[in-house]
Amino acid sequence: MVRQQGTPRLFRRGPSAEVRLFVLGMVALALIITDVNTRVLEPARKVLATALYPVQRVVMAPRDGVQTVYEWINAANLIRSENEALQRQRIELSQVATHAAQLAAENEQLRRLLGVSGTTSQPAVVVEVLYEPPGSFHQRLVFNKGSRDGLAAGMPVIDEGGVVGQIVRVTPMTAEAALVTDKEISIPVQILRNGLRLIAFGSDSPSSMEVRYLAANADIVEGDTIVTSGVGGLFPAGLPVAEVTSVERDTASGFARAVVQPLAHPERYRHFLVLQVDVTDLDEPQPEVPSSESP
Amino acid sequence: MNRPDAPRRAPLDLRGIPPERVTQPARAAFVWFSIVFAWLISLLPWRVWEGAPDVLLLTLAFWCVRQPNRVGFLTAFVLGLLMDVHDSGLFGEMALRYVLVAYGATALHRRLQRFDLLGQALHLAPVFFAAGLVTTLLHAWLALSWPGWDWALGAVLTAALYPILGWVLQLSFRGDHDGNNAAA
Repeated sequence: MVRQQGTPRLFRRGPSAEVRLFVLGMVALALIITDVNTRVLEPARKVLATALYPVQRVVMAPRDGVQTVYEWINAANLIRSENEALQRQRIELSQVATHAAQLAAENEQLRRLLGVSGTTSQPAVVVEVLYEPPGSFHQRLVFNKGSRDGLAAGMPVIDEGGVVGQIVRVTPMTAEAALVTDKEISIPVQILRNGLRLIAFGSDSPSSMEVRYLAANADIVEGDTIVTSGVGGLFPAGLPVAEVTSVERDTASGFARAVVQPLAHPERYRHFLVLQVDVTDLDEPQPEVPSSESP
Repeated sequence: MNRPDAPRRAPLDLRGIPPERVTQPARAAFVWFSIVFAWLISLLPWRVWEGAPDVLLLTLAFWCVRQPNRVGFLTAFVLGLLMDVHDSGLFGEMALRYVLVAYGATALHRRLQRFDLLGQALHLAPVFFAAGLVTTLLHAWLALSWPGWDWALGAVLTAALYPILGWVLQLSFRGDHDGNNAAA
């Protein structure tokens, strides 16, 4: 009878805090481990990212607005200085272009003689940085275009200096690129001076890359420029990647290691070019991105 | 029998307590508004610096201390997942961190009622730190590299912001004497 009068509820309903912590903690842990080892969660991530996209755009609208106004105010100055630089470049480039045209014709002829198929020009998409995701484990940029604009994981990202990074994840509206300095990135490269083929890896430091597994007597010196070798098929050959800043030779182990400085400057610009290389055969193992997270 | 002229007494006489000692629960709408606002702020690019305080986590912790029945583990978990997607981190890392902090704040909430905001911040600093340590260690183990201690500075700064945020949020709901929302 006392019960029917309704005893006041002194305690909360539902499972205890410990049970809830355990259940949700286990779910979170399962998600993390699944995310590291498989790509099962990518669809869920895509759905959430697509839902988030309008909110992200609205939140960043004031910043974009300020940037637009600032650029508009500085337009005259910017154009004047840019014009000067472009004039100079035009003169320099006209000489190079003549030379290049000659070489291209000659190259084409030699390729025909050798029976090598010609190189095709690469279609590309201009993208703008939407934001830089925080996190000390990786160096990433999120761009404002995604699979709707023809981007796909594996495509290289370049700026005027050279290779900036590689697309590692796309949603319909956005694409996420790992910078060349990201630990998960490795690029097949060669030394411009002597054609020595190497692999450049991202490093723990946010501003440099590493070239590892070199023979201790490998011909690599400070100041060497490293370009993509085209091995692996994702990065077109000949894109500048980095400059060698130091070489450590360990005669005891028989290996050398070089620290290289990327030539691209992703921190300075907002616009980049994504090269739409063919990534159709990339769905299974990805030789370019041996990712511990989902590639 | 009852004498008609006997003074009627409330079951619990609150008249002796000065009104500012009686903390009214905030309206649900205000709680959710503050959380959504903190979430929107967290989407802005200022958190690129690893030592930046986590405003969303702080707001969640505040409401877990104040109204653990309203804001709880599931809220923390879902918001954590959303932050994971935004930060393109491990799916579930932030969710785990937020749930751990929600647990710490909920477990401490009775004790914390007896402290002022500064005392509460001192209690919560180890909670933020421990939750950060657990998730960072986990990620470091999976990624095979240690990211440094910047995140710990973030935990300390988050705790340091607690009194300020608490003061602002309290200002907003202290004058709210609507008895209808006392159910929480």
